[in-house]
Amino acid sequence: MEGLVTQIQGLSGTASDVLSLQNLLKQADDSLHAESTRLPPFLDQLDPSKHSLGYLYFLEACTAGPVTQEQASSFVLTIARFISSCVAEQIRLAPDKFISVCKRFKDQVLLLEEPLRGVAPMLTAIRKLQLSSEHLTALHPEFLLLCLLSKCYKTALSILDEDIFEVDQPRDLFLYCYYGGMISIGQKQFRKALELLHNVVTAPMSTVNAIAVEAFKKYILVSLIHHGQFPTNLPKYASSGAQRNLKTLCQPYVELASSYSNGKIADLETYVEANKDKFESDNNLGLVKQAVSSMYKRNIQRLTQTYLTLSLQDIANRVQLNSPKEAEMHVLQMIKDGEIYATINQKDGMVRFLEDPEQYKTCEMIERIGSSIQRLMTVSKKLNVMDELMSCDPLYLAKAGRERQRFDFDDFDNVPPRYNI
Amino acid sequence: MASSSSSGLTFKLHPLVIVNISDHYTRVKSQMNPPPPTSATSNSNNSNGGENNQSPPRVYGCVIGVQRGRTVEIFNSFELLYDPSTHSLDRSFLEKKQELYKKVFPNFYVLGWYSTGNDAEESDMHIHKALMDVNESPVYVLLNPAINHAQKDLPVTIYESELHVIDGIPQLIFVRSSYTIETVEAERISVDHVAHLKPSGGSAATQLAAQLTGIHSAIKMLNSRIRVLHQYLVGMQKGDLPCENALLRQVSSLLRRLPATESEKFQDDFLTEYNDTLLVTYLATFTNCSSTMNDLVDKFNTAYDRHSRRGGRTAFI
Repeated sequence: MEGLVTQIQGLSGTASDVLSLQNLLKQADDSLHAESTRLPPFLDQLDPSKHSLGYLYFLEACTAGPVTQEQASSFVLTIARFISSCVAEQIRLAPDKFISVCKRFKDQVLLLEEPLRGVAPMLTAIRKLQLSSEHLTALHPEFLLLCLLSKCYKTALSILDEDIFEVDQPRDLFLYCYYGGMISIGQKQFRKALELLHNVVTAPMSTVNAIAVEAFKKYILVSLIHHGQFPTNLPKYASSGAQRNLKTLCQPYVELASSYSNGKIADLETYVEANKDKFESDNNLGLVKQAVSSMYKRNIQRLTQTYLTLSLQDIANRVQLNSPKEAEMHVLQMIKDGEIYATINQKDGMVRFLEDPEQYKTCEMIERIGSSIQRLMTVSKKLNVMDELMSCDPLYLAKAGRERQRFDFDDFDNVPPRYNI
Repeated sequence: MASSSSSGLTFKLHPLVIVNISDHYTRVKSQMNPPPPTSATSNSNNSNGGENNQSPPRVYGCVIGVQRGRTVEIFNSFELLYDPSTHSLDRSFLEKKQELYKKVFPNFYVLGWYSTGNDAEESDMHIHKALMDVNESPVYVLLNPAINHAQKDLPVTIYESELHVIDGIPQLIFVRSSYTIETVEAERISVDHVAHLKPSGGSAATQLAAQLTGIHSAIKMLNSRIRVLHQYLVGMQKGDLPCENALLRQVSSLLRRLPATESEKFQDDFLTEYNDTLLVTYLATFTNCSSTMNDLVDKFNTAYDRHSRRGGRTAFI
């Protein structure tokens, strides 16, 4: 044990030394696990900022066994200190050990029922493990789970804003998007929530999994709140398993969506009352209530398409609200949120609906469009790369050759030839 | 090998020969490379073990055609097997093929042989001499398969053999000859077809691109000149350079002429037009991107989705 410690101290200098150290540590791993109870004092001899790799192996062996409540708090402190001071390059040599240490950290923090303590260290851990900001690691969903449990949603938003292009494990993506959707709903950013939940629902999956089913339920509700309608068919890039099975598994929600589209609030409320326990058991009752209240907004928006001016009393009648005062409150809120453009004349209680005042003449608009074009071009480049990769994929080539049309050769120039591998 | 030939023969080459040689080479080369791991079972009986993936393989064959007087017209070609141990081509096969071709094209004779590579080599002379008993003065057609985008003309050279005296010893060496391309109607159509596979940009597209490139280079030049002036002025301000009043007066008069128009209406119109152009560009990039995305999704579905549409009536247009 002491010999190993001195080797770690000696070989943590240059990159090649660290590689040889890693081989040594891999061989010594079993002996470390065998002596896990004796290890904590050795941890003090190692400096996490210089000997990160060795410290990691020792730490992983220490925390391998079951942990009691008192040990948990001391471990939480050590691991948090380690995460903040370790060196990223050395950590990336043994990513799975790092991930398992962080997962145990999360378990211990949850055991102590203080998820807030885990949020900041987990964020640093993600930044150190990620190869680039477009890379999704196994720690992302753990981090989001801690944020959800400790209700600090704003820190999570900084992670959610980054676009993801590389994923290690599909399960990570599902969990990440699902938790991310829930956090965005908590922050009332329904557009982002819709995007994340959409990713879960349309991700490629050979069999439907539970995460996708739960996400689909929330997806229906959020799309009702945000868009006022729910598309009955999933887009064609959703996997066929999802297209066939998800709707049957979430039957009450689909019916809720269809009664929403009828536009009658009373029907909707009776339906919600009838199926209340089903919604409650899924923890979705809050969302359902928000969906019901968004129905008023939909109806008011529909009015803007028919009328130029309307009195508050009329609005209240058409939208089935109780009084003109309530109607005025709703309209005011919507004007503030930017969902409609209108002016309220308080003297005679008339509302005038206006057009979108955006004239597309300002410099800010130029900058906005310019930056959108830039983003679109980067996405386009990435898509082209993926397209080429896919065209060379042997699985695709095998199937593409088989689906040839039986038509005249002269008419279709670009029919791919029968490809026999 | 050497300079231009002096035999006075004019050579006419048909595109069919070039396409044949290129096709032969591509086939051999693609059969040599190991296929991707999932289909490694086939392709076991492959070409000679001597070739590794780095050096391009050499292919050999015969060219046939007609010689009328001083004009040699090369119409067609066929492939031959090269025996690396004896450094010669398979003789019996050559004769059999010759007989068969005679039956179909009674006028064609074996005029020479072809190969691929960068330049004619010493070992080629053996093959050349071996062919001399079929044709007293065979031609050697060499195709360079390396793709060079900067090169404007065809990478095909025709060599003849001539007896030259080098160091007192009469030797046969290869000399280059010029040639022209001759086409029959059928060949013209097929070459046209091959050329259209790679879109080279219609006239409209190139005009737009040319105009935009012109504007771009003009603006770039303007920008660099302003930068030079700016650096000069900054240097003068810092005191590194001596103050030159005449120059300063010129710069100040130039600056006072700008902006040429300054009015509310101009700003409005200008910004509206700018925004319109940007929106159109945005729409174009969007459409492009969605089209790529659509292709990708289709390909993904065909490759990975087990229960995708059967009996593909999918349009490949």
